[in-house]
Amino acid sequence: MEYAVETFSLTKIFSDWWGRAKVYAVDNLNLQVRHNEVFGLLGPNGSGKTTTLKMLLGLLHPTKGKSLILGGEGTDPKINARIGFLPEESYLYRYLNARETLDFYGRLFGLPAKVRKMRIEALLDMVGLKAVANRAVGTFSKGMARRIGLAQALINDPDLLILDEPTTGLDPIGTRQIKDLILKLAERGKTILLCSHLLADVEDVCDRIAILYGGKIQTQGRVRELLQQTSKRQITTDAISDTAVEKIKQIVQDENAECEVASPMDKLETFFIRTVATAQQQAQPTSGAVSTTKIGDFLTEQKAVENILDKLVSAPISRRAAAESTATEKVAAAESTRPQADEQLLSKLTRSSEPSESQAVAREKIQTEPVEATTTGQEQVREDILDKLIGESDACRDQDKTEKPQAGDSGDA
Amino acid sequence: MHSIRAVAINTIKQALRMKVAVVFTILLLVLLPVLGFTATGDETLKGRLQTFVSYALSLTSFLLCLLTIIVSIYTVTSDIEQRQIYTVITKPIRRYQLMLGKLIGVIVLDVVLLCLFTAIIYTITIYMPKFTKASEQELIEANNVFFTARASLNVPEEDVSRQVANRYNELNTKGELPANVPRDEIIAQLTQQAQLARRAAVVGQPLLWEFKNVKPLSENLFIKFKYDVSVNPPDSQVWGRWFAGDYKFFQYGTQSKTPIYEKLHKHSVRDFHEIEIPAEVVPEDGHLAVAFVNDPQNNREVAIIFPPDGLEVLYKADSFTSNFIRVVLLILFRLIFLACLGTLASSFLSFPVAILFCFVVFFTASFSGFVLESFDFLGENIGAVYSYSLKWVIQLLPQFDKYNPSKFLIPAQLLTWSFLTKCALLMVCIKAFLIFIFSLVIFRYREIARITV
Repeated sequence: MEYAVETFSLTKIFSDWWGRAKVYAVDNLNLQVRHNEVFGLLGPNGSGKTTTLKMLLGLLHPTKGKSLILGGEGTDPKINARIGFLPEESYLYRYLNARETLDFYGRLFGLPAKVRKMRIEALLDMVGLKAVANRAVGTFSKGMARRIGLAQALINDPDLLILDEPTTGLDPIGTRQIKDLILKLAERGKTILLCSHLLADVEDVCDRIAILYGGKIQTQGRVRELLQQTSKRQITTDAISDTAVEKIKQIVQDENAECEVASPMDKLETFFIRTVATAQQQAQPTSGAVSTTKIGDFLTEQKAVENILDKLVSAPISRRAAAESTATEKVAAAESTRPQADEQLLSKLTRSSEPSESQAVAREKIQTEPVEATTTGQEQVREDILDKLIGESDACRDQDKTEKPQAGDSGDA
Repeated sequence: MHSIRAVAINTIKQALRMKVAVVFTILLLVLLPVLGFTATGDETLKGRLQTFVSYALSLTSFLLCLLTIIVSIYTVTSDIEQRQIYTVITKPIRRYQLMLGKLIGVIVLDVVLLCLFTAIIYTITIYMPKFTKASEQELIEANNVFFTARASLNVPEEDVSRQVANRYNELNTKGELPANVPRDEIIAQLTQQAQLARRAAVVGQPLLWEFKNVKPLSENLFIKFKYDVSVNPPDSQVWGRWFAGDYKFFQYGTQSKTPIYEKLHKHSVRDFHEIEIPAEVVPEDGHLAVAFVNDPQNNREVAIIFPPDGLEVLYKADSFTSNFIRVVLLILFRLIFLACLGTLASSFLSFPVAILFCFVVFFTASFSGFVLESFDFLGENIGAVYSYSLKWVIQLLPQFDKYNPSKFLIPAQLLTWSFLTKCALLMVCIKAFLIFIFSLVIFRYREIARITV
């Protein structure tokens, strides 16, 4: 169970009627998704992203190779109980209404009536469809159907969330919300595997990505490492006087480097969200989905053991960073600042009243900070304790996870 | 279990809300009462009842069969084609549970609709005598031959093999056997002759039949018969003297405690007729004899022959209501089989192909008796090919025509529990079950997702 998802030379060949190999949809794919990370599978249309997901979930049989998902087969109900899946389009029963749809999926998990009801209300609230909960899903717009699709993927409080093009058909606010949600879920210790060809989405949320083309991995790695231009530096300041700018230019020229000065642009996304937020504050009526920043409380937070761990380490580093740094490989120091960046970013986003500051700018700021000193020092102090405790907490978590589906069953019985 | 239940409920919702079932329901709800008023038959109450029940039950059974086929196929194929199955099958549910849930949903829907429609038919049937203001005589007739469940006792073909063998040897020793004719053929001819002789009576000659375990519930029983004649009388009618009573009295001449029935009747030839006999003639041990004498009033040349299925004794053995319930169960078995068949077809075929496949099977099964018989008339060479291929396949299908509901209710024939159990075992427990298992195996190993690159 080192990886949440692992494939071993997974291959899918689509053959024609005579059995001749026609298309290599997925070709010798070796993919590793670690626990508690947001992994993005990128690629142009027809590069094998969806085929890979379908093989993971047992909807297609691999021609060759195999895949493990949470340490088991994708067709095993015990494993399925811990997975949430959102297909590339929300395929829903048109004749059920939103609440019935979620109720149906809840029943498939054998959730007891009380829990089911509580979760359905929380999810409807979370995806902003409470007002239209009694309307047949067949009448929903694509974006609204997408929201219901997302809600059904979360109804079992999954450990692993597999999202196929999660933001297609959503308005920019919906897209932003889904991205926020993904970050929040990651914060709560979920593993998320998403595939998309919308690069902006992937860039905003993913820890690691793999780029597929022709069914093969062309490149993979940490988003930060792949994108960072180490040969350049960016400085962002408040509005300063022209003389100060001239001085800075002078300093740069002294270093024999070139310098450009311009006012940073807002992302269109940020601008759009701001506009709609203003309209919502004025309470203009809409028949569509409502934006919320709520998250279902049932979606489990990190475990108690891990909180103790945090206290012991007595440093404001998040558990995710800690787990990663000790997991398998030595991680670049820059990484441990990432969760802090997320928190900052999230807190800003959730306060819709002051959306003025561009989160892109916020991120860039953090990125340019010299980070080595802040975290490595803290870690070194307690590294021995940390190792020991993480070993224990991992064991605890595993135990807990295997017990969860059984508890659900007995509750129903 | 909870997931099977969830799928079953969803299937029923689908059938109702996608208006497939609703169309059929409304159609039947309109047609059944209309039939009640328009079915007149031969203008007698009995004719009305028989026509109504025959049409209404056949229609209900036929439409429910179509509905079952369509719903059972639609519910699986639409999930696959519209891909809702992606989100369902990735939940903690095994594939067999999904299929079982769908099947149970269809069967529950069938049970509910069948109960509804047969309740309507039953109510209309029961109240029809009041609506039509039938005369006293018509009421009695209806009670005797319709609102009842009559057991029928047939006369088995007598074993004449010893007699035939003797006759053959006799001819052989006399050297009278025809040359160039194989032995089997001569034996067959002799058997036919001997059996015919047992069923034929020249003028003045009596025939005696024996019936055991006759236990009539009502005050009368019926002899149903058909005459064939060697020479057609001018008015196509013949005289016959009928007797009924204690078998021992007829065979051994012992004193009978029960009265003996004796009456002369005149009936047309080559039609079925029934004569009513008081039940008091049946002795306590149920050992009944029926005798017939070719009456001397007939022309001397007229020999009366009873065809092989030409004589039955009918008596009330159960009530109309319980017979009706058993007939409804018979329809239900048919529906369960079709639901399993639809599941099988949808496990590997797309909607239109699966529908076509099921309709072919359904209609073949509906006429399987006829089809099987027709093989016997094929030429020897072609016949052999069919007997070893197609005949074998058709015998695997259930024989819907053999278990036809109208066959029992129209002549008020008793549908025994043993016959019903046999049907259940054969049609549901063996054939339907095997078909369903087969569909599970196919569905277990197929790829759910469509190929998209």
